[in-house]
Amino acid sequence: MANKVSVENLFVKFEGEHGDVQALDDVSFSMKEGEFLTILGPSGCGKSTLIRAIAGFQSPERGEIILGDKKVTEPGPDRIMVFQEFDQLFPWRTVIGNITYALKVSGVKKEKREERAMHYLEMVNLKDFARAFPHQLSGGMKQRAAIARSLALNPEILLMDEPFGSLDAQTRSILQSELVRIWQKVGSTIIFITHNIQEAILMGDRVMVMSTAPGKIKDIIDVSIDRPRLPETPKFMKLWHQLYNLLETKQFGENGSGNVLPGKD
Amino acid sequence: MKIIKQIFQMKIIRQIVFISALLLIWQSVVSTGNYSELLLPSLRSIWTALMNSVASGEMGKHTSYSFYLIGQALGIGVVLAFLLTALAMVSPWIADFMKTITTIFHPLPGVALLPIALLWFGIGEKSIIFILVHSIIWPLILNTYTGFQSVSRTQLEVGRNIGLRGLSLVSSVMVPSAFPYILTGFKIAWSNSWRSLVAAEMIFGASGGQGGLGWLIYQKRFFLETAYVFAALFVIIIVGIFIENVVFAQIERLTVQRWGMVIQKEK
Repeated sequence: MANKVSVENLFVKFEGEHGDVQALDDVSFSMKEGEFLTILGPSGCGKSTLIRAIAGFQSPERGEIILGDKKVTEPGPDRIMVFQEFDQLFPWRTVIGNITYALKVSGVKKEKREERAMHYLEMVNLKDFARAFPHQLSGGMKQRAAIARSLALNPEILLMDEPFGSLDAQTRSILQSELVRIWQKVGSTIIFITHNIQEAILMGDRVMVMSTAPGKIKDIIDVSIDRPRLPETPKFMKLWHQLYNLLETKQFGENGSGNVLPGKD
Repeated sequence: MKIIKQIFQMKIIRQIVFISALLLIWQSVVSTGNYSELLLPSLRSIWTALMNSVASGEMGKHTSYSFYLIGQALGIGVVLAFLLTALAMVSPWIADFMKTITTIFHPLPGVALLPIALLWFGIGEKSIIFILVHSIIWPLILNTYTGFQSVSRTQLEVGRNIGLRGLSLVSSVMVPSAFPYILTGFKIAWSNSWRSLVAAEMIFGASGGQGGLGWLIYQKRFFLETAYVFAALFVIIIVGIFIENVVFAQIERLTVQRWGMVIQKEK
């Protein structure tokens, strides 16, 4: 099968006051249709830069990103981003209004918008809050709504930049399994960024580990564990340790405090 | 006892009590008979004056003339303010230029420009509108620009992501996102211009006589019809309260409060 996405020799440089920073240094990988790829790395490893480049928000210094058979040059609704920030919904529109508006902009016929929005709200268990305004929702519900909006647009690929990063542990773990359930049902192609090892293993078909300064791919590892995955199993633990050793732990210490052995948090 | 206590806890009831007390004091000072009706008319004659001037159409005519002036000035002011703000968003040079002139002109009271306006535009509507536009555009520019700058980066990117570009990004994301600031700008612009308007009309009453509530006050004082002066002041207060506490409050309730976008006041 042909590749859905391929990133070829991608370089991104930021010009800063203290000299230039090479955020991405010769990054190449590809994904198959319907694949769930998690990208794991410490903060500052360029994982956000990479996903923003794929989204079209960040233009590369060199290299290209191919989606299907088209080269990525600017943002577009074929690659929908789900952000970590809770303010990604427009506060002046209701939950369903946020979705139907996005559908309107992308040219979906008026009669179909409401029904389609409701379908995806139901999928993320937010049907009862369709007419609520975003400020009336909890953080987890806002992220669910944002996921419903991105699914409704039916993009070629979903780009998720630590969407559960600001949630409490319990809500986070509920949303992780729900996202996997939805992905298995819908079959979307997903790139999911995280700095949590357990999250990366729970969700991804493959885990891509990145290293810092310059941002490079350290390794891409297949997760050959049957779903639903349980963190306490030996296979899971083994992979957890393998990934833990791959990450540069000395740099990872800063924000890696969330990475405790599975079953112990 | 409990019921009485509860009633007094209602804000509106307390306000009515305060206003009644003030009116009572007024009336009792008048009824001592120590002051001439020309200086301190009784409540009854103010009320009669108000009713007469409303019935004769005089009050309506002058009030609507004032609104006609402020409406024109608002139209011109809004277009100018949004054009300037839009240009400032395009280039940092224009932004700096605009910030400088806003800093210079914003503190300048509109009425202070009246002599200049008279020299430039002569006696007439144009001069008043010039002053009103001055008192409208600066707060509007200042707040709209601050609002545009505070638009969330995430929301802008969501807008671009779903396919919005250029003007549609401005009207569909930036304007609603900056709306709490824009509304604040309008509130300040309104109260500035309403105050300037009455003052400007009064001075034109001295030099020409165009109409408007300010002119009405000036004219009535000239003929020592003091009760009418107070009646006109009463109308000015009522209009002010209506616009600020009913019109703007209602807009706020339907928009920023409903959206949970109230600007956090600094403590």
